[in-house]
Amino acid sequence: MRNLVTIALFLSLFACGGGGGDESNPSQPQNPSVEVELSQTARKGQPVTLRAKASGVGTINKIEWRQVAGPIISFEQTDSLELPITPASNAELAADSYTFEVAITNDQQQVTRQQLSFEVKRAMSSAQAARLLHQATLGPKGSEITHATGVSEEEWLSEQMQLPITEHLPLVQNYPDRDEPNQINRIDAWWKASLNAPDQLRQRVAFALSEILVVSDSNNALRGEPEGMAQYQDILLKHAFGNYRELLEEVTLSPVMGTYLSHLGNEKADEALNIRPDENYAREVMQLFTIGLAELNQDGSPKLDGEGNTIATYGQDQIEGFARVFTGWTFGASARWKRPSRNFTIPMEAYSDYHSEKEKVLLNGEVLAGGQSAEDDLSAALDNLFNHANVGPFIGKQLIQRLVTSNPTPQYVERIANVFDDNGSGVRGDLGAVVSAILLDEEARQTSGVLNYYGKVREPLLRTVQFWRELDANSPANLYFTWSLNDSHGQTPLGSPSVFNFFRPDYQPADLLELGIVAPELQIANDAALIGQFNNQYSNFLWNIKEVITEPSDKRILLSMQNHADILELQGLEALLDYYDTLFYSGAMSTAQRQTLREVQDIYADWGLYHQVALLLFTVSVSPDYVIQL
Amino acid sequence: MNYKNRREFLSLCLKGGVSMAALTSMQLKAMTSLATPAASAGDFKALVCIFLKGGNDSFNMLIPQSGDPLDAYLNSRQNLAVSDAIAINPTTAVDGGIGLNPALSPIAPLFNAQNLAVVSGVGSLVAPITLEQYKAKSAAIPNNLFSHNDQQSTWMQGREKESINYGWGGRILELLNQNNNFGSNISLSGNNLWQTGPNAIPFAMNKSGITRVHAYNNSESPRTQALRQQLEQMFNQASHPLAKSYSDKLDTSIGNTEQLNTALESASEFTDVFSDSNLSKQLLAVAKTLSVQSQFGVGRQVFFVGMGGFDTHDDQNVNHPNLLMQLSQAMAEFDGAMSTLGLSNQVTTFTMSDFGRTLSSNGDGTDHGWAGNQLVMGGAVNGGEIYGSVIEQALDSAYDVGGGRMIPQVANEQYFASLARWFGLSDSEVLDLFPSLSNFNQTHLSMFS
Repeated sequence: MRNLVTIALFLSLFACGGGGGDESNPSQPQNPSVEVELSQTARKGQPVTLRAKASGVGTINKIEWRQVAGPIISFEQTDSLELPITPASNAELAADSYTFEVAITNDQQQVTRQQLSFEVKRAMSSAQAARLLHQATLGPKGSEITHATGVSEEEWLSEQMQLPITEHLPLVQNYPDRDEPNQINRIDAWWKASLNAPDQLRQRVAFALSEILVVSDSNNALRGEPEGMAQYQDILLKHAFGNYRELLEEVTLSPVMGTYLSHLGNEKADEALNIRPDENYAREVMQLFTIGLAELNQDGSPKLDGEGNTIATYGQDQIEGFARVFTGWTFGASARWKRPSRNFTIPMEAYSDYHSEKEKVLLNGEVLAGGQSAEDDLSAALDNLFNHANVGPFIGKQLIQRLVTSNPTPQYVERIANVFDDNGSGVRGDLGAVVSAILLDEEARQTSGVLNYYGKVREPLLRTVQFWRELDANSPANLYFTWSLNDSHGQTPLGSPSVFNFFRPDYQPADLLELGIVAPELQIANDAALIGQFNNQYSNFLWNIKEVITEPSDKRILLSMQNHADILELQGLEALLDYYDTLFYSGAMSTAQRQTLREVQDIYADWGLYHQVALLLFTVSVSPDYVIQL
Repeated sequence: MNYKNRREFLSLCLKGGVSMAALTSMQLKAMTSLATPAASAGDFKALVCIFLKGGNDSFNMLIPQSGDPLDAYLNSRQNLAVSDAIAINPTTAVDGGIGLNPALSPIAPLFNAQNLAVVSGVGSLVAPITLEQYKAKSAAIPNNLFSHNDQQSTWMQGREKESINYGWGGRILELLNQNNNFGSNISLSGNNLWQTGPNAIPFAMNKSGITRVHAYNNSESPRTQALRQQLEQMFNQASHPLAKSYSDKLDTSIGNTEQLNTALESASEFTDVFSDSNLSKQLLAVAKTLSVQSQFGVGRQVFFVGMGGFDTHDDQNVNHPNLLMQLSQAMAEFDGAMSTLGLSNQVTTFTMSDFGRTLSSNGDGTDHGWAGNQLVMGGAVNGGEIYGSVIEQALDSAYDVGGGRMIPQVANEQYFASLARWFGLSDSEVLDLFPSLSNFNQTHLSMFS
């Protein structure tokens, strides 16, 4: 872990004659010096000891400590070389700076002083760590919360961002007994990566991106291209902390995207046959992947014209311009245009004979002259899109919604859009900086006030992921063949019904219209899906207990209740509920919720421990306070 | 009261045989059928909306047969032109003759039997508009033409987007005071705007019909009853607005699902009537629900079913005929089921879609367009006719705003008004519901007698 300990030491030595000492006095100590150090990395709210080491000061008569700078800490004078202090555990995110001074007086009344300046990092409590990890992982395990407890948010993010990428493509296996993998095999790979990957922040951000830069193999030919689909997920993982411009280019040139939005094989116009370039990708790359339909202010609100109407970002001229840009591209390593390689895992390549030579009208009045190469046109057009002022608020707000809260304040959106525009080093589109800013923002960490509609509805898939991670879900064959995720969860990773994702960022259920707040994830909370999830959770927990099922079939996914049953048996119900409080409710489990869980356990108190645990977990999984990620 | 034989209890409730005083508020909430005046069977009507998601190339459902219209069609459509159309003879003849796409063969007999009509040249419009006005922006143009989700919303709302938006399916139930029972507003395709009103939310039914609630299966066990009580109390404790929205929904979903299960136990099976496509399965579920319609005690029902895949930018010559075949197969099956139930005259089925598509090709597909054709089916429909205006499929004509995106000659609101009037809305209610109608000299089409 880099930067775990960065203590700034500012040493300054004051050795002066206290009380007008006599320079000629032969007993005066020579080269008196004092060093001060910390017993360990100082963290907010945690005791730490300042230690002074004196040399050449002679016989010590008195030791005095005082605080020179930093939030006031009360401490008792010890007349000792060691001073135990406990830095304040205030809610501010930033590290606090302190300076302390020790003054050592010898028997000659000579005083030697030394100061130590140090930074006190935040130490996340277990509840704070849990909150962060609910936002920044696919669903934390207890052990991960423990690991993150005691370090600062920045340290955890930094550690996560440096972990190697857990890619999905290498995890795609064939069906047993088949030549070619199919859709279920890349879903299996998704589970394996999601459940086991240490780089959880990256996986979560890539999952969020997969719901913005949407491709899907539901009901189309991509169903038969699981390697391509997994490789597309790997593109999102690769650029999760990279630059949005590079992500946009790799997404655009992905043959999976090219197939999904039909710019793969898209040819220049043939006027004799009334054939024009395909407009599909041209439209959606603008409407969904970069700028949206309406001009935006930096805080995500729409700009309005003099009559109070929104202002369209593009018209048919731009659609046709970008449609021309996206002509002449097909599978990489093809023999020729008409003999495509059908290799879904390498970027598309351009064939100049099929690229439109006409001029291309872009955004903001930019026009690409005719006759440029396909590569140059693509690069210029993506620059044109990427540099539109909408991208920061448009993409920034959606990332906030996917990770933290459905209804960010305009100020939060603006802060994130500003980071998108400039990461502090003059770089636009730095997703690592954007993700950090989203998660470290005071609104995400709730360091100043909490809105009553804060947070978001957890996506059904992510609810299951957390339980499956915590309970080491697996089948004897190590396969996760979840055939009907749409019925049981209302969503499938990379399986949206259309490029508009499972839910829209502005979806408002009727009962929230008056409050004026949105709840995107509730778009898939229809009756059939809710019953499907209710049943799925029940059968997951009650009928698939690893410790109970003695002869499971090969692909039956079992959940281990052993750890939880042990807590229940050895430490009692309250200890288990304390554990659940942190793990599932980030320390905010209400009294009423705890009472419900007690009552449920009581109803089944004469059943076996595993089943008691299963019923508690089922109750947690459908509890409103768990379904909301605060 | 406890949950002694919940199924029997709910069955009694459905029939209104239990004293209101015996009910908890929770049960009352799940039982609103009692609040709705029972309708006589003769007055019953249902609307079934089939939404073709992605934008159906619906101009390619009606194929010109000869002369200039055929030449224009072949010139604009090129390799996407369809041959071997099934000739039909609408009451009002079309110049050069007209035929149905051969993939619609299952419903051709319904057209001939006057159980099916086509509405042609229909699309979203605020007011009539000419090509010149469109180019000069001198008349109102619907917002966000050619965008999937915005145009889907326009069809579902029956009006342009406002700050708060509702769908006309939900609104007509409210206007007819038919929104109190979940059974009046059923979707086989999840949440949707069309069925959502200020006081109307669709019940999203599982297309496989009866859906047991595992956790409560063993309903006679005191343990199960106690668990249920705890969970219901937990759902009712939610205070965070998003949590409350979720748990209210889950709470009513469970109650409504159990009621529906009870009703469906006596539903017709329609064995071997419906095929295996997703749409057929959805319409089978609608048919089953209609077979037990009297159990809900409602006078009106609206159903929403959905079919995806119509965004045929690619491989249209392969994909589009498949889609139309599934659509027409399912519609024909459903028509047969309604005949069996004796509900043909009381159930009207109609299509909506995002938009029509370009007449010109992008090589092997079409892009987002504007006007298109829609299908209306049922015994009450003056079938065997093409309503609206059959726009010649010619590029660069007076209707073409570019690439064969054709200006509608009938507003979708006129189409909706026709359906809403049949359903029982007064002319003033219709004008209120579809505000753009006042810009047209005709508020509705003569599809119904």
